[in-house]
Amino acid sequence: MDELDPEIARLITAKEQRRHKLAALPFAEKVRLVVKLQQMAAPVLRARGRSVAVWTLDDLKPVVRK
Amino acid sequence: MEKTLQVLNELVRDGTLSRYAIGGAMGATFYAEPVLTFDLDIFVILPQTVSGLLTLEPLYETLRARGYTEEGECVNIEGIPVQFLPAHNDLLVEALTEAREVFYEQTPTRVLRAEHLVAVALQTGRDKDR
Repeated sequence: MDELDPEIARLITAKEQRRHKLAALPFAEKVRLVVKLQQMAAPVLRARGRSVAVWTLDDLKPVVRK
Repeated sequence: MEKTLQVLNELVRDGTLSRYAIGGAMGATFYAEPVLTFDLDIFVILPQTVSGLLTLEPLYETLRARGYTEEGECVNIEGIPVQFLPAHNDLLVEALTEAREVFYEQTPTRVLRAEHLVAVALQTGRDKDR
């Protein structure tokens, strides 16, 4: 197998580390990122004819039960 | 993300990048419903350097001059963490050369073909892609 260029090896390692950092984020921050992901993906999915609803962070306010 | 892609198109126009295409999970979104992670994988063909060394430093420097900051291996461009991955083997060069031209909203861009996305994921061989 070809030896990996050191710069590529560094990028792949850093990417893995970033995934662990994202996994360790607080729940509220993860939800905020999910909304950003929905915003990023929505134009692509709409262009494919999919019906897409992107959450707004206002939707995510805690529900107060009476 | 549209502004991010506009910045990438400018980098191609000014010669900082020879070519780029969207890959990774966001690239797969053009064909399927992948599990997304919060970053944008951009495969790039860099202009040939005099030394022949594979380095992203000139690209990072250009982006720094435009006010875009590095976050680990990513550069935050218009609010999106972008990871640049140089085409370092024949598969990636082919994938970039044959990338599809598409529009993201009003902005032209390129995305790897589905078969190349799958081949690159297999070659990378991460557990999450199995």
